Amino acid sequence: MKPAPFDYLAVDDLAGATAALADGAKPMGGNQSLGPMLNLRLARPAALVDLSLVPELRTVEESAEWVRLGAAITHAEIEDGEVPDPTGGWLRAAAANIAYRAVRNRGTLGGSLAHADPAADWVIVMTGLCATALLAGPSGTRRVPLEDFLTGPFATGLRDGEILTAVEIPRPGAGARWGYWKYMRQVGEFAKASAAVLVDRERGRLRCTVGALGRQPLVLAEPEALLAAEVTPREALAQALPGRSPADLALHATALARALAEAGIGDAA
Amino acid sequence: MREVELRLNGQTVARPAEARTHLADFLREEHLLTGTHLGCEQGVCGACTLFLDGRPVRACIILAAACDGAEVRTVEGFGDDPLMGRLREAFKRHHGLQCGYCTPGMLATAYDIVRRLPDADAARIRRELSGNLCRCTGYAGIVAAIEDVLSHDPPAAQVVPLPRRRRFRPGAAERSAAAAPAAARPAAVSGDLPAFESYAGPRELADGVALNRSVLVQAPLATVWKVVRNPPSVVACIPGASLAGPPQGEALAGQCAVSLGPMSAAFRGTAAMRLEEAERRGRVVGAGRDGLSRSTLEGTLDFALEPEGDATRLKLSLVYRLKGPLAQFGRPALVEEVADRILAQTVAALAGRATGRAGAQAVPQKLAGFSLAWSVLRGLLRRVFWRG
Repeated sequence: MKPAPFDYLAVDDLAGATAALADGAKPMGGNQSLGPMLNLRLARPAALVDLSLVPELRTVEESAEWVRLGAAITHAEIEDGEVPDPTGGWLRAAAANIAYRAVRNRGTLGGSLAHADPAADWVIVMTGLCATALLAGPSGTRRVPLEDFLTGPFATGLRDGEILTAVEIPRPGAGARWGYWKYMRQVGEFAKASAAVLVDRERGRLRCTVGALGRQPLVLAEPEALLAAEVTPREALAQALPGRSPADLALHATALARALAEAGIGDAA
Repeated sequence: MREVELRLNGQTVARPAEARTHLADFLREEHLLTGTHLGCEQGVCGACTLFLDGRPVRACIILAAACDGAEVRTVEGFGDDPLMGRLREAFKRHHGLQCGYCTPGMLATAYDIVRRLPDADAARIRRELSGNLCRCTGYAGIVAAIEDVLSHDPPAAQVVPLPRRRRFRPGAAERSAAAAPAAARPAAVSGDLPAFESYAGPRELADGVALNRSVLVQAPLATVWKVVRNPPSVVACIPGASLAGPPQGEALAGQCAVSLGPMSAAFRGTAAMRLEEAERRGRVVGAGRDGLSRSTLEGTLDFALEPEGDATRLKLSLVYRLKGPLAQFGRPALVEEVADRILAQTVAALAGRATGRAGAQAVPQKLAGFSLAWSVLRGLLRRVFWRG
């Protein structure tokens, strides 16, 4: 129950973090997911570089179009409204339901996304909100939409030495609606099923996203048909996820139906 | 070892800490403050909850080294705190504790609830307490105690959140927004794979997870069979798998490295392979163990070939069972997804070999998200005993 030995590196800035990664250190955010794995020796890194206080990752930027939250902003800061929420409360509500308060006080937005646990809240919420990951690495910076950033269970498009520095969340247009629903066996656990629905006609963003699938979130190809109730959530999922068991489909379809209902569309299944 | 300085319960103290030492151990063993209890040591039970810079945190999943310069308040540091005094009294009066193991963490969380959520009702209190486990009281007394304190004009909290360290550094906002637009999409492994159809394969290992994959290989049956019946060539097609040496008669020994995010395991074991030459099918049965994570993997891999015109259909059916901490952390749906991707990679690599395309290079060498599944499969194959 004690971690295998490793080096701990505290760095002053992003350049220091990049240099540490180049030397083979693994990045660490709030350590809330990694910590248990370290204690159980399921993860045995040689060195960890602590990104949680790196100043560049703790910044917030705003424009008329978006808000960029630094990767080291904690869930609790979002929950408490200490940082701007461009969605007028959707981010705050999602943050408030992540694990437990003691975890939210340490866990970070970027750490959660880079860890890419398929059942994690930000993984589906940020994909569902059409957010963009901002990355910095040895060969410069780049932008990757969340749905491309997340490539599989615990897998992202981060290249060697690259760091997720911030998440850019677009401001929804007037009248935009949102629904996010997740099912957990008990409060604070990882979701067994989750879904998010964004209907933002002014900005032309319609998105139905399904999470906790064991893989990266599924962005349904034809949200319009779902929103117009031309197909049921169950039909849409059966088509997008062939080979899933009926019980599995029913669970995720229920999540999707409830997210649609939260967004004010259709009736909850 | 590095010197870690804390403002601990109002006193400035410094002691050396190893990088791997978590805050709870540091407090208990270096500062002899054993009021912080350790239950699960994996961030689940909440017994180690204490205040770091005025916010409740779990001390078992915070490195002591990461707390250098921080303000720490443990259960021992609330002697004169009127709000904590009120909570202690209420816990006593409402039977909010029995054995006392969870109590330091419960008190920390209760303090945070009263301070942060003055209007909390019983349902909200229960939700906020969901991260703290108590095996004695059934929680009723704890909830009643907190409700009692909340409804009787609680004194102001003296422990309050401190400003975050190094926040919003001026001038740090020049990060270029307009870097290259979404460069080349990172190679999504699923995108690199041919489409497979599922087929209902045999199921052996009771309570194991069954996965099936099939692919049409553009090569004659005999050619594909030659690849599939040869253990070293099969192992070479499994990501992360390697043989410990040449097959010893019918037995194979080897290992399979698997990683699941930051978790990694190397399953070592043996396996046996049985071929039915006439039917063009076979079965590999194996088991392996990763000593460091104390996890075991066992499984059965059935394979069968069927001619389809000039081509050959290759069907793989995997049943596996993963036990131990790795399974506990992997969660079934996640492990299954990883295993399925490994199976898909394997089938693709086998097809590549049989058709002479790509040869041994058909399998990507490093698959970030798939290592766990890989490990599983590798473990399986490494344990392969061939009993021709």
